[in-house]
Amino acid sequence: MTRTQDHIRTAFADAAVTGWLHACDIDTGAEVGLHPDHPVVTASVHKLCLLVALHQRAEQGDFDLTEQIEVPPTGRTFGLTGLGAMLDPARVSLRDAAYLMMSVSDNIAADLLLERVGLDAVNRTTTQLGLAHTLAVHTFRQLLDTIKKDAGPSGTRALSDPHTITRLTALDPARTNRSTPRDMTRLLSCIWRDEAGTPDHGAAIRRLLGLQVWPHRLASGFPFDDVHVAGKTGSLPTLRNEVGVVEYPDGGRYAVAVFTRAANTAATLPAADAVIGTAARIAVDALRAPRTRRRSGT
Amino acid sequence: MGQPPLSQRIQRLERELGIRLFERSSRHVTITHGGTLLLAEAREILTRSEALLATARRIRDGESGLLRAALPPDVSGETIAALLADFADRQAGTELELHELTTAQQLDRFGAGALDVGLVHHPCDVSGLEIGPLLRRELGVLLRHDHPAAQLTDVPLAALTGHDLVLFPRADAPALHDELLTTCARNGYTPTAVRHGQSPSFIRGLILSSQAVAFSPRDTQPAPPHPQIIWRHLAGTPLAWRHSVAWRQGHRDAAVDAFAEAVTQALWGTDTVSMDQPLPPLHLRPTAEYWL
Repeated sequence: MTRTQDHIRTAFADAAVTGWLHACDIDTGAEVGLHPDHPVVTASVHKLCLLVALHQRAEQGDFDLTEQIEVPPTGRTFGLTGLGAMLDPARVSLRDAAYLMMSVSDNIAADLLLERVGLDAVNRTTTQLGLAHTLAVHTFRQLLDTIKKDAGPSGTRALSDPHTITRLTALDPARTNRSTPRDMTRLLSCIWRDEAGTPDHGAAIRRLLGLQVWPHRLASGFPFDDVHVAGKTGSLPTLRNEVGVVEYPDGGRYAVAVFTRAANTAATLPAADAVIGTAARIAVDALRAPRTRRRSGT
Repeated sequence: MGQPPLSQRIQRLERELGIRLFERSSRHVTITHGGTLLLAEAREILTRSEALLATARRIRDGESGLLRAALPPDVSGETIAALLADFADRQAGTELELHELTTAQQLDRFGAGALDVGLVHHPCDVSGLEIGPLLRRELGVLLRHDHPAAQLTDVPLAALTGHDLVLFPRADAPALHDELLTTCARNGYTPTAVRHGQSPSFIRGLILSSQAVAFSPRDTQPAPPHPQIIWRHLAGTPLAWRHSVAWRQGHRDAAVDAFAEAVTQALWGTDTVSMDQPLPPLHLRPTAEYWL
């Protein structure tokens, strides 16, 4: 195990999480990993795959991203953000629904888009980009329904019981939407190198990743005003994930994918959120070491 | 299984049992009342048959008669003696290979397939495991005899304000360490300083010299008690060690069950253990990204 891997492992242990990470320099391909090919549950990180598939279908002329969709208030029972939290009938364009899906992880917006794009198209997109271990097997509503079913009659409060956690099929990569850290940095690299679509579509996808509002995970590791962080989180009971790209003003850009599982079943665990940033920073610092050494002339 | 073979199997089962299990119309299939009554027992038979297969697998793998088990270091000697005697009664043909291992060490061994069953501390990462009932060992507070709170029968955590806390080193069990401090804070006690130490003499020294406090289960207190250090219940029993027996998912068998039963009985018998408390409310925040 290298020193960097050891630092990352220690950071995860210190935050009481099990973690899997892959980070790479988008331009040189240099990489850092801690079990980067381990199957992981994507949860809302899969919204990134959906976003890319949405843009690919739009590029093929299947629909126009400015097309308006009507969102009736019925059936919005699963969300604390975006359309999922709104009370009245709404009307948004496909691309604005994508904005809500990416910026605040809006599950209603995500399933509306998934209805248009189709699960098969999402999987075709990831396969075609070479993500051999990435697969979506259900919609976001179906995913939350498995949790509701496994949690049983006590509902939300049962999620802090370790017995419930051992029962959740949503936490088993073999039975839910899944990927690997390395697959996710490959996807991000494709997006940043305009290999997932035309430059226009690439720019639109990158813009949305940069509009995510959460500051507590990946971004927390880079408290620098001149560094740009774009990403998408994913969360389920005991799971905290984020994949994203960190860009420095000297042109260095790094794709990072961090997936964690906490020992504690509590829903509020600031240290488990923050370690995603800490681990990403250790990885990015290691990738930047040749560059920073060169600049300081040593 | 295809639809026609499944239908045939169900019909055969209905003939064998002599009752109708499903109502079929051209569009719908619903379970009958009789079918519902049999369901729980059928599930139990399936679980038992899985346990049988797991035992068979161990025998096939050449591990017949050996159960690799672990206990954490904080279980009292009396508990261990009681559990060994009880296990021998329940499972005379099985040799018990018992190790003293921390929760982290047990999780590593479970991951490597080198441990069959163990008693773990929660919180811990339960991926790939199944667990038995949660047992709660209440923690009380150790105070110097002239501490004002020593006059109380039940000490509210907030009454410890202003005193340092002696706690085990965080690296030993970071999740448990943080959970204890969060529970203290939630109940109005934020220690002035947390001082890390483990050995009874170190803890005694800090309590006696600097009026620090420490948490401890009652069953680990020396008899007779130390003349200047008092153990007190905490009001509302907010703090506890939470244990459960754990085994690898899909690897439950008769020997694992016997160990789990023996541990539970032994802890009930010799320690101040209760079942886990009702679950508190859980308010998911918008960043949770899920909602039921």
